[in-house]
Amino acid sequence: MRESVNDRLHEVSLQMRPHARAVLSRLVPHSLFPSLPHSPSRRRAVVVCAVIMAWSAPGASARPPHIASCTSCILMPFLGQAIESATPSEDEGSTPPTASVDERTILRAGQAVFHAVAEQTRRFLVRIDTVGGAQPPEQITQADESEDGDEDAPPRPRSQSPFRDAPGSSFTIADGPTTGIIYSADGYVVTSSFNFVRDPQLINVTLPDGRRLAADLVARDQVRKLALLKVDARGLDVPVWATRDQITVGQWAVALGLGFGGERPAVSVGIISAVGRMSGNAIQSDARISPVNYGGPLVDVEGRILGVCVPMAQRPGELAGVEMYDSGVGFAVPGWRVDEIIADLKQGVSFYRGWLGINVNVRRQDGVFIENIADPSPLRSAGGLPGDQIVEAAGQPVLHFGHLVQALYMLPAGRTVHLVLQRGDARIELDVPLARGVDLGPLPELEEPFDPSEPAPAPPHGG
Amino acid sequence: MKHLGSFISTCAIPGRGRAGESAGAQARGSLAAHDRARSLQVQGLRSRKSWRACAIPVLVVLYSASVARSSPAAASGGLDEVIAATQSRVIKLYGLGAGQQAGYGSGIIVSASGEVLTVESLLIDARSIRAIDAAGKRYEAAAVYRDPSRQLALLQLRRPGQPVDVPAPVTESEDVPATSGLQLPAYFDVPAHIDLIGGQWVLAAGNAFRIADGDEPVTVARGVFSTRTRLDARRRLKDYPYRGDVLVIDCITNNPGMPGGALVDLDGRLVGMIGREVQANQTNTHLNYALPADVLSAFLSEARAAVAAGRHAPAEDRERGDDRPPDLGLRIARTGYRTVLPFVERVIRGTPAARAGLRSDDLILSINGRQISSAEDFDAVVATLRAGDAVDLVIRRDRDIKSIRIEQKEVSE
Repeated sequence: MRESVNDRLHEVSLQMRPHARAVLSRLVPHSLFPSLPHSPSRRRAVVVCAVIMAWSAPGASARPPHIASCTSCILMPFLGQAIESATPSEDEGSTPPTASVDERTILRAGQAVFHAVAEQTRRFLVRIDTVGGAQPPEQITQADESEDGDEDAPPRPRSQSPFRDAPGSSFTIADGPTTGIIYSADGYVVTSSFNFVRDPQLINVTLPDGRRLAADLVARDQVRKLALLKVDARGLDVPVWATRDQITVGQWAVALGLGFGGERPAVSVGIISAVGRMSGNAIQSDARISPVNYGGPLVDVEGRILGVCVPMAQRPGELAGVEMYDSGVGFAVPGWRVDEIIADLKQGVSFYRGWLGINVNVRRQDGVFIENIADPSPLRSAGGLPGDQIVEAAGQPVLHFGHLVQALYMLPAGRTVHLVLQRGDARIELDVPLARGVDLGPLPELEEPFDPSEPAPAPPHGG
Repeated sequence: MKHLGSFISTCAIPGRGRAGESAGAQARGSLAAHDRARSLQVQGLRSRKSWRACAIPVLVVLYSASVARSSPAAASGGLDEVIAATQSRVIKLYGLGAGQQAGYGSGIIVSASGEVLTVESLLIDARSIRAIDAAGKRYEAAAVYRDPSRQLALLQLRRPGQPVDVPAPVTESEDVPATSGLQLPAYFDVPAHIDLIGGQWVLAAGNAFRIADGDEPVTVARGVFSTRTRLDARRRLKDYPYRGDVLVIDCITNNPGMPGGALVDLDGRLVGMIGREVQANQTNTHLNYALPADVLSAFLSEARAAVAAGRHAPAEDRERGDDRPPDLGLRIARTGYRTVLPFVERVIRGTPAARAGLRSDDLILSINGRQISSAEDFDAVVATLRAGDAVDLVIRRDRDIKSIRIEQKEVSE
């Protein structure tokens, strides 16, 4: 008897896995057990719950109490129904389970949770309105135009070397409101740097209680596309952030944003598609992440903030990644990454992309050879020379250009990178502090002109 | 509430074989009124007695209520039946196309006599619009009412071969509509009121990419309802005329052929119609959205009345006469051709603005809720104001953000 119930529940649990793993298991022991009376069929339900719990999420225990109690009361009826479907109607152990779970039952349980999560998280969201500012200057080409390796295309001008400020996308920044998340009770708001690409003269913030306040942009992190705002307020409600071990691929993720204004955030639902993206700086979700919710939260079904929604791509540029909006590929910076830099941000320290200041012949297949070095640039000061081959960067072996990009693209200016160069027979180890793009000098004239005749491999972006 | 009733019932009386019944109630139930439902659920959790006490009567009342008003699209079976019912109420349209404008689209059937709602488009400019339903049955259609301001159109299906420009014969039967002689088995009720919650699942059904051929049912995609907002958008660099409410969804419907398709809830109830491709001005992103069923309902009543009166388009807007915009007594700073922020340069003494307490160097953030970011915006919004109406401003003065209401005194005081 217990076997068949178990089988049935296994099936149900599979269908409900996103709920089951994250919510269901946690609400069973503390809310359902005490509420069940002691008839035989109810006792079986308790057993069944234990089976669900044991099967779906062994060892899951931590939960923020205020949120779990709410999700549990929402999922409670659903669970009741699931159990009912899974439990033979009378006490004869031989009766096989007959009722099946309608997909809609599962969907309904989910939507009730999504809605509850959105409603709960609303009190941690601020609406950001900016006044003034200009469109960013570089937004000429689409991201993928250079990627298809069009051999008829003229070679790219030097200024578009992958290690210089790369072109953004054709996206134009809109005037509408954007979203931020209250980070601390004393008025710090974490959001996305995307929302300030125009360098607005004034920033106004509307708190969840309706108060409208002037805000200051304290600092931004252009690597992780974050920004920190400060408003003059105290005693604000602060959300709970998910820790690293609370984020698993496949779990539900709800993206919230105030990009359309109004009191209620726009809701989009997806799953966590990947963790540890962008050199460990981002989690990936297929929820629709776009200017509607950049700076807003990606939330789990218990209302914990999984991350700050941001546009992100492996190539540099303030708008890089926006072209993927609503595509099913979206990113959020998880809480621990925010925590790592929050002290610096509060001090007004901004993070920018770090550059070596080199030009690399991406057409060479036999390794990554420095073709030219900007003057001034960190690598030139450290003693690098054109012609050197980069064989290792930041501890990663470098066999082709992509490896170099991979090793460096999420490192901010100011970070020192250990490089291993091969110059003839000599192996040279250098510690090079990465520079801001604006601090790099021009590339000196080369004696031999660049040879565009060789077919190019797809030139990578970023770095 | 119905939702709640069925949920509670299953909790309160487990193991009594009522699953089928309550699932049926739930299937027909609406997804509305969640806040109240939630609070009731919370109460229910706190005390088992109150659970039972409220659950059964609630269930009975709501169950009967939901049976009484089961809409044609509501299916009591599984999701597959809901989808099939939805698909049978969406019709594939084929007409004129040019350039980027697809020559195909979708429409939703809203009466047994073959009325079809769709979006305004080049497609329906065709002399003959072809329509194919989910059973593969072919019709011709003609636009009988078109509203450019809402970008909506009402089509009338006819049997193929019947000339579309000749009025259909009038029949004497009340049951069979006079216009077409058609008696379609399935159509959507267009509710005058909808109540959606953010995060609620929705299904979008339409002729995406002309994938569905002949008797193949249209494409169905799922997503959640994101939010309801006022549309402020453009289409192909031009302002989009419709400025009313839309339902933003997170399901990608912004594809050729989808506009005119149906948006339904999990019970198959029509909640909206997929709108034309637009870019939202607030975000500069392509919008996935639907026109709310209440807007469709209002349009449909208006269209039916107009067609009965022999009109095929809304009456022209009356000329506004010499309605000059009011002078609030504000002067906005302007310098040359650069876009400048709408700072108040001067407030003229004794004017409504001065009485309201505006000062020079105040920065105007919004007028009547509309965001202002330049002197041009200010002019554009003031031009829409009417003399005598109160005007609500939000201004920033140094670091304070204030709301200020400018009361205009009647001229004939």
